[in-house]
Amino acid sequence: MKGAATLADLALLVPELILVGMALALILTARRIQKTPVAAVGTVLAALAAAVAAGWTLSEDAQTGFSGMITVDEYSQFFKVLIAATLALAALLAVRSIDRERIPRAEYHALLLLASTGMMLAVSALDLLTLYLGLELMTLCSYILVGIRVERPTSNEAAIKYFLLASFASALLLYGISLTYGVTGATDFAGIASALGEQGSNQLLSVAIGLVTVGIAFKIAAVPLHAWAPDAYQGASAPVAAFLAAGSKAAGLAALGRVGLVAFGSEADVLSAVLLGLAALSILVGSVVALSQTDMKRLLAYSSIAHAGYALLGLIAGTPEGASATMTYAFFYVFMTLGAFGVVIALGERGETLDGYQGLAAQRPGTAAILLLFLLSLTGIPPTAGFVAKFVVILSAVRAGHMALAVLAVACSVISAFIYMRVAVFMYMREPRDPAPPRFPMAVSAALGVAALVTLIGGISPGSLTLWAVSP
Amino acid sequence: MNEYTGIVVTFVLAGGIAAAMVVLGSTLGKKKPTPEKLAPFECGKDPFSLPMGRLAIKFYLTAILFILFDVELVFLYPWAVIYRTLGFLGLVEMGAFLGILMVGYVYAWDNGALDWK
Repeated sequence: MKGAATLADLALLVPELILVGMALALILTARRIQKTPVAAVGTVLAALAAAVAAGWTLSEDAQTGFSGMITVDEYSQFFKVLIAATLALAALLAVRSIDRERIPRAEYHALLLLASTGMMLAVSALDLLTLYLGLELMTLCSYILVGIRVERPTSNEAAIKYFLLASFASALLLYGISLTYGVTGATDFAGIASALGEQGSNQLLSVAIGLVTVGIAFKIAAVPLHAWAPDAYQGASAPVAAFLAAGSKAAGLAALGRVGLVAFGSEADVLSAVLLGLAALSILVGSVVALSQTDMKRLLAYSSIAHAGYALLGLIAGTPEGASATMTYAFFYVFMTLGAFGVVIALGERGETLDGYQGLAAQRPGTAAILLLFLLSLTGIPPTAGFVAKFVVILSAVRAGHMALAVLAVACSVISAFIYMRVAVFMYMREPRDPAPPRFPMAVSAALGVAALVTLIGGISPGSLTLWAVSP
Repeated sequence: MNEYTGIVVTFVLAGGIAAAMVVLGSTLGKKKPTPEKLAPFECGKDPFSLPMGRLAIKFYLTAILFILFDVELVFLYPWAVIYRTLGFLGLVEMGAFLGILMVGYVYAWDNGALDWK
């Protein structure tokens, strides 16, 4: 009967079920896990299993389940694999920080797993309410992750700020969903699209589209909904900030892409006007404000805001090619930002401020070189993945006829070069101030290696990795 | 008979029983008032006090544990109503839901949330 899930439905959720299963196991054994690597290995294994399960049906046709609420198509599979990779890297990078900052180890990993489950649900949602459910699961876990260092006032402050602003954004999203339902009488994407095809546009619908877009744009920290990001990243433990910067953004972009293309496809004018504003403001504000930052996590937060703007460039066009460009951007962005955050995490206290990077190249040439790679990629200099990513989204904006926006994007790229190269100057052209950092644990080195590899391969032969970027 | 008659009957019955208990208790019961008994009841804490005082965090923990089971019941009711139509798979789904809830309960227990220190 309709309503009750069948085993065929559950088969679509295997990646999510794997993550939830591991999270429950970690919660049950929380007080019996005495070593961080145990929890980390469990999380990484679950992430790998989920990635394999998500990629299993890669060549088959799209399938829907749960009465058309959930789909498994190439779009969702692409993002699920990306989210699983984010999860695994966030677990590996945190291995030492968890012990040093006395973060509850099982809880950290369980929350990472559950947040990733929410992201996966959000990217495979075919209904606004399922989408909301997924995004909320992700955000609820993020609140706790940001405030997980309970005894630190900054961590608590960040969590409260994040919670208050995010609840407001969730309310906006829900309001948008209810208005959409009021106009179209449907919450599923196909139903909305067909209702819009029959009745055409009206004013209320524009408001609804605006609210839904804004609610999701909060998750990717696009200006003017970015205010939470710098504070939350700074107050949170560095691995949590890395996970939020990468995963939350990928899931938000995926959700925005599908909603824009499938549900509101016929209202491309309204949608692209909203996205245009968000993208232009994000690129400009993110790049300019990052100039004055001296805290590394804040700097990377503003950098992530600018990158959210670049990623939105692809969605403005409202075409499958544009969405595919955004997918490429999200993919490479995740690895380069996790890499840059990874070095910050690995350097510990020293890595948190810009001054800590003085003379790093003389003390640890390998670390400095790998950070330089990520910084070059974030700037968008060939032959790194960041160049390919920026190239495809700016090309998409030009094809859609937004020349002014493309010029702004390129100009801000130049500004951002100054931000990132300032760190490089500190590393290579200053005398060391602090004692040399200790050797990185194996897990952290492995995660940095993977991120660096993807950044390099993506820059040298972009086609090999973005072949899978198929829009919904 | 309207389909809403049942609801009205439920309201009347519930209101009647509650009212009867209060009325019978206050008319038939023995009365030996003490200042303690006359004070408004609020789960062990002072009902009126200035907000400067500190309150044991234990109360909030207990309240949250209560919500755990409160919400569980909210979901159990609609499930019980359509139990037959959902069939065996519905039972399995509910089992999964209760199982996940129990994991949270075990976690709370494990971390000493149930010890009234």
